[in-house]
Amino acid sequence: MKSYKGSSVLATDHYPFLYKQPISSPPASFPSTTLSYPTRNRFLSTRIQARVSHDDPVVKQSEDLSFYDLLGVTESVTLPEIKQAYKQLARKYHPDVSPPDRVEEYTDRFIRVQEAYETLSDPRRRVLYDRDLSMGFSFSFSGRRRSRYNEEVEEEKSEWKKKWQTQLSGLKERSNQRNNNSMSWAARMRRQHHTSEDSS
Amino acid sequence: MAEQAYTVASDSENTGEEKSSSSPSLPEIAVGIDIGTSQCSIAVWNGSQVHILRNTRNQKLIKSFVTFKDEVPAGGVSNQLAHEQEMLTGAAVFNMKRLIGRVDTDPVVHASKSLPFLVQTLDIGVRPFIAALVNNAWRSTTPEEVLAIFLVELRLMAEAQLKRAVRNVVLTVPVSFSRFQLTRIERACAMAGLHVLRLMPEPTAVALLYAQQQQMSSHDNMGSGSERVAVIFNMGAGYCDVAVTATAGGVSQIKALAGSAVGGEDILQNTMRHVAPPNKEASGLLRVAIQDAIHRLSKQDSVQIEVDLGDGDKVSKVLDRLEFEEVNKNVFEECERLVMQCLRDAKVDVGDIDDVIMVGGCSYIPKVRAVVSNVCKKEEIYKEVNPLEAAVRGAALEGAVTSGIHDPFGSLDLLTIQATALAVGVRANGNKFIPVIPRNTMVPARRDLFFTTVHDNQKEALIVVYEGEGESVEENHLLGYFKIVGIPAAAKGVPEINVCMDIDASNALRVFAAVLMPGSKSPVVPVIEVRMPTVDDGHGWCAQALNVKFGSSLDLVTLQRK
Repeated sequence: MKSYKGSSVLATDHYPFLYKQPISSPPASFPSTTLSYPTRNRFLSTRIQARVSHDDPVVKQSEDLSFYDLLGVTESVTLPEIKQAYKQLARKYHPDVSPPDRVEEYTDRFIRVQEAYETLSDPRRRVLYDRDLSMGFSFSFSGRRRSRYNEEVEEEKSEWKKKWQTQLSGLKERSNQRNNNSMSWAARMRRQHHTSEDSS
Repeated sequence: MAEQAYTVASDSENTGEEKSSSSPSLPEIAVGIDIGTSQCSIAVWNGSQVHILRNTRNQKLIKSFVTFKDEVPAGGVSNQLAHEQEMLTGAAVFNMKRLIGRVDTDPVVHASKSLPFLVQTLDIGVRPFIAALVNNAWRSTTPEEVLAIFLVELRLMAEAQLKRAVRNVVLTVPVSFSRFQLTRIERACAMAGLHVLRLMPEPTAVALLYAQQQQMSSHDNMGSGSERVAVIFNMGAGYCDVAVTATAGGVSQIKALAGSAVGGEDILQNTMRHVAPPNKEASGLLRVAIQDAIHRLSKQDSVQIEVDLGDGDKVSKVLDRLEFEEVNKNVFEECERLVMQCLRDAKVDVGDIDDVIMVGGCSYIPKVRAVVSNVCKKEEIYKEVNPLEAAVRGAALEGAVTSGIHDPFGSLDLLTIQATALAVGVRANGNKFIPVIPRNTMVPARRDLFFTTVHDNQKEALIVVYEGEGESVEENHLLGYFKIVGIPAAAKGVPEINVCMDIDASNALRVFAAVLMPGSKSPVVPVIEVRMPTVDDGHGWCAQALNVKFGSSLDLVTLQRK
């Protein structure tokens, strides 16, 4: 499709890739690079796209923001307030409602807001995040950060609600171990799924 | 496929390129279409509310079928059947939504072989052969073609009534549709001269209607709009879908989706098998009689079925509800499983459910209602929606919202935050499916994972993209594949291959792959970007062919921390 060519042109003959150093060195620093793929809006010229992704204040700023900053809330925020903040921001940044000329940057921002919401609306992940935050890792968005807060635990919520307090200490321990002996999320998934299988 | 003389306007998949000549000042309001397995409807935002269009026979619900009787095929919009049975002579093709985008090894295709038109399978993973009986000859067609003929009629009907060109549409689709099936729907729309703005999973369209209703009522009582959790259950002739949505202030956030190809058609076939005399092929007459009996069983405790099948075979039977429920136990169990799975995925306690919404033709079946209300522990079912119109109304609202229409009264201050119904990922770690974007991730979404090589000095790697839930790749839908070349010579496990997947607000999936080496600051070869799906027909074969050709020589494994 023609509309798609725009971005593939960007990927090949323009600056295909932004390379960024992580803003602070993450605890589970693997791998050591952060990739940025071509942006979404296929109708902008490559020049504009480059400008949007390099210089845009919205994008740039949000890299430095904590999840709390992204949602525009304080660290003492309650769960209903988180939900409300998220829905308000969705009304602003969701590509369906954002101004047509800013869809690109707003979409990037919205993905960050979503990550913040997903983490902070889950009490277990929020505790992990708060601990990291207190240790000075304040940045919000990158692929490997997500893996730390996003692991899937197959539990009924009702059960989980009752138990999460007691589980937290165990999770913290596990999480601390992981800092010393970390695996990628996928590797853990793989281990979960295929414990019996030989690894090649 | 030979060029046809009838009204299918364009066979181009790239209709998005044609610029519309309408005036730029007035945005075209996209219409909403609910293409059901058995019935369709079309609706549009008329400036103050959703208006459902009626056909010349004053019907809002239009039977989904196309007859190939004469020179020009005619769909259910314009064509009036003299008899219900006429649909069963083999000249009419229907249930397209069950067949579109499926290969001939699919059990749903096999279940369709009892339909009166021809569904022929070779069981090798290609598209089934479908044909209608015209003057005692089988005339071949495809699900896309049948759907396109029907959509053209819908479009012409809408254009005549709205007195303008109709081009942009929002369509509702089953939750369980793979991305490949969605491309087939888009293809049919393109053939019919329609441009798809959104393909909405059916229960999410209902969720949007619900969000609007909630917002209106919270305006009335000046509440700030606290979050309401609703379970939406939709079951039509072909599919059963469930969604859990959290709604506040006109924003409908889809927390989880679940769906499968189980519906009224399965109930109909189970019941036909149960009632039909042994060694007697299911006839059209029996089909009509059983359909009628099932409808009546929703209102009465037992029904009398009397059918003369000819050749001295007669069916005379009293069918009561208990027996009917026993015969269709598997269907009702599947409904139960889907609702439970959806609640679990949404991490919602039954105690937190505010509303249970049931839509679709099968929602009238008492047992279906009982199953859903039992799982949700809710006696009362939400009453503010019409079960047969809710989806198309939601689609029309989405059409207005995505067309950028503003309503002074705030009726369109709505937003749906969609979630992915199926995980997307790649083949790695042997024959395993490794999700990159898991199921029920809010979209737009962008996620990535790192992989590495399995052989020393492996210079190329195959990225095979699948969609689904199964642990091994065979259980999932193949979406496409591409090869990364130019990986620098290194020991296995050293190159870092980043696979990133991006789903935008219109649900388009793009897959990126980049090769990094430890210590390198940027990718060592140009990044590859591929829009998925790329597979066309015969995709049942592709994975096998890749396997025969490459074996494990271009395999990937997830990258372990050293």
